[in-house]
Amino acid sequence: MFSDIEIGVFLDELEEKLQVINDNLLVLENEPDNQDVLNEIFRAAHTIKGSSGVMGYEKMASLTHNIENLFDKIRQGELSVTTDMINILFEALDALNLLKKEVTGESVDIDVTDILNKISGYMGGGNPADELKQPKTEQDTKKETAAATEAVADMPAEHQWETLDDNVMDVIREAEVRGYQAFQIAITLDEGTQMKSVRAFLIFETLQQLGDVIKSTPPADKLQEGEFDFTFEVVMLTQEDQDQLENTILSIAEVHDIECRLIPTLQTAEGQTKSIKETKVQSAESEKKAPAPAKEQQQQQTVKTAKTVRVDVQKLDNLMNLVGELVIDRTRLNRFTEIFEEKYQSDELAESLNEIANHLGQVTGDLQEEIMKARMLPIAQIFNRFPRMVRDTAQKLGREIDFVVEGKETELDRNVIEVIGDPLIHLIRNGIDHGIEDPDERERLGKPRAGKLHLKASYHESHIVITISDDGKGIDVDKLRRKAVETGMYDQEGVNRLTEREALDLIFKAGFSTAGSVSDLSGRGVGMDVVRTAIEQINGMVELDTKLGEGTTFTIRLPLTLAIIRSLMVTLGNQVYAFPLSNVSETLRIKQEEIRNVGSDEVIVVRDRILPLLRLAERFGIGSSESEDLYVVVIASAEKRVAVVVDKLLGEQEIVIKSLGEYLGDVNGLSGATILGDGRVALIIDSRDLIKVAGINEEA
Amino acid sequence: MSSQAEEQVVVFQLNDQTYGIDIVSVREIIRMEEITQIPGAPEFVEGIIKLRGGVIPVIDLNKRFGLASSERTGQSRIVIVQVNDVTFGMIVDSVQEVLRIPTSNIEPPPSMVGRVDAAYLRGVAMLEDERLVILLDHTKILYDSEQEQLQEVEMELNQ
Repeated sequence: MFSDIEIGVFLDELEEKLQVINDNLLVLENEPDNQDVLNEIFRAAHTIKGSSGVMGYEKMASLTHNIENLFDKIRQGELSVTTDMINILFEALDALNLLKKEVTGESVDIDVTDILNKISGYMGGGNPADELKQPKTEQDTKKETAAATEAVADMPAEHQWETLDDNVMDVIREAEVRGYQAFQIAITLDEGTQMKSVRAFLIFETLQQLGDVIKSTPPADKLQEGEFDFTFEVVMLTQEDQDQLENTILSIAEVHDIECRLIPTLQTAEGQTKSIKETKVQSAESEKKAPAPAKEQQQQQTVKTAKTVRVDVQKLDNLMNLVGELVIDRTRLNRFTEIFEEKYQSDELAESLNEIANHLGQVTGDLQEEIMKARMLPIAQIFNRFPRMVRDTAQKLGREIDFVVEGKETELDRNVIEVIGDPLIHLIRNGIDHGIEDPDERERLGKPRAGKLHLKASYHESHIVITISDDGKGIDVDKLRRKAVETGMYDQEGVNRLTEREALDLIFKAGFSTAGSVSDLSGRGVGMDVVRTAIEQINGMVELDTKLGEGTTFTIRLPLTLAIIRSLMVTLGNQVYAFPLSNVSETLRIKQEEIRNVGSDEVIVVRDRILPLLRLAERFGIGSSESEDLYVVVIASAEKRVAVVVDKLLGEQEIVIKSLGEYLGDVNGLSGATILGDGRVALIIDSRDLIKVAGINEEA
Repeated sequence: MSSQAEEQVVVFQLNDQTYGIDIVSVREIIRMEEITQIPGAPEFVEGIIKLRGGVIPVIDLNKRFGLASSERTGQSRIVIVQVNDVTFGMIVDSVQEVLRIPTSNIEPPPSMVGRVDAAYLRGVAMLEDERLVILLDHTKILYDSEQEQLQEVEMELNQ
């Protein structure tokens, strides 16, 4: 079997290549004659075919084999690309994505014969299953057709060469393009060799220095156990010539005889010079991107694993925690340094201590930053899924979309990436479905037939801002107002009181949909509220701007990381509490007499708006030092606002969120804790929870 | 030299009683530090403290056992205990020593030991100097035992 590392490398490669196919198929749809694109897909399919075959994933191998063949025909000009064909290729791509799960150990039960048949239908019929097993080009027919001979003949004089299967031939062909030659070598040891396995191992080592051994018969593990007669056979890729190879092997002790032959392929048959020329051209682009799959398994693997290491996120979290401790100790050290300096003035020792403390501080800061960065991933991870989705959605709805993606390289915390995918999908679908008009309509309006959908990610201070804008029909605020009355959400008077922005905010309410008809894709009235909730859950914000007839822009602001948030620090009793800034709309200082009573509840009036008042000390059952002047933090979630009374405002600070742990679980009104610079622990307020509770009071 | 089975326990003082807890479950013992109270947490949870860059709950063992809280002194310590994946601290009056107790000296607990419910206990050990050490069952400290719930119901009924 294959090791986890090998499977990991294979998966990485697979993902990369599938993405390449995906991207290029999208391009191909608009530029069906683009040779570069055709080649890219061909090569990617080829690579997957090779490696999945070696790894033993047959469905994947046969699918990619067929895709490869199809593109070969297209490249030769025998076939031309049609929309229909691209649809089927996307189907095949979906199937491949499903089959990917097979690699991770999940069982996948999908039938690919249908897709195989469709693809081969383009290639002028023929049973794809047959085609799979048959050698696809003439070079394969040159292979030895002798029945597979398991046991290698004892007599090397008339050595019967092992038959090479398609996968090996593919690897060889690919390597050839990069300037390697493939040799099949039969090595016979002296009859009296004592330690066959060790000798075989030595020979292997030597061969690996000359090139790559991609196959051996019997397999390498059998050889190492000494389970072979005195002859074994290897296939290797090398840039050395045959003489060099033979001489080197013969120089090894106890090697009795070797037989070596160049494995014939199309290129070598046509002539050496040509193949080398081709190499020069292709290697520039393919060497880095598409290493020969088998080679990757053998040697490249060490190179690749050295560059990237898979790390459990938990480990990074632990590291982060430890750095947090360091930061606290640094702060304490600084304080001691100050005391030292006061005591000993400009004593040399005090100065040294100061210097050390400063340096430690710097290093700790850098360390913290680096670990943060290690948790970051480019947003391309999700953005890359969208072009395909846009295409499918547009096709289904009969829209023409010009989809522009910007800022793919923007990095954010992997946890944020995990959460943000679905809301973005929803907003994009909405944009296509409700935003952008159908092509005829657009033409009538004097707009280009293709609607523009622009997805952009960028940094903005300590936030990531993602915008999705369309140049469609925009949102009719009056229609929203009418709808709000129809659904009984507001009465006419209430609706009239809403500002434009508040009215627009209605679309984020649960059960609110303005779509005339409910389509398969959107308009069921669930969604926008889910979008907002999901974004707020990770301390993000979503807003929209719209101009009737000109389009709509959604703006999502996200924290760079979930672990660190900007907070407003306050005191209550003798403890410090943190309000995440994403939910703080303002802070006020009020006098006791400004508080009014509505029934049993206290409220304050801020700019003609009535806000329920929540005395946090009371809520938490702590004694507080309230005086004549009260400090109030106004928190907001969705359209609800609550004024929270605290003892004192301390100011803003970036804090690292710590979970309260499994044992304490969800404590009402709190979302976690954080460790302050002086080592004290502060609690983080769960604004949404407070608002929910205050909301209940409102109704009562 | 002794092939006899024995246990190592951390011995601490709580309200004039001597308790022991299996050393395997003890991660460390720290001095008292400022504890941040958690509004709305169970009564015996004193609050949270920072530990290794994270936060952990700290419980008052006296309150947990339904006894009066004892005064915090310079001797007070927080014993950090790990049970399965949960790490927590428990406040004790003082930590005395680490003892090896032969398993044969450990008796199952009577139903009440010094007003502490046997549900929290693993046994009672008699030391050579005739001191008694009450051995806590660290797995039962945090989570409500069925017994306790029954007792609560009983109390409610009596009221």
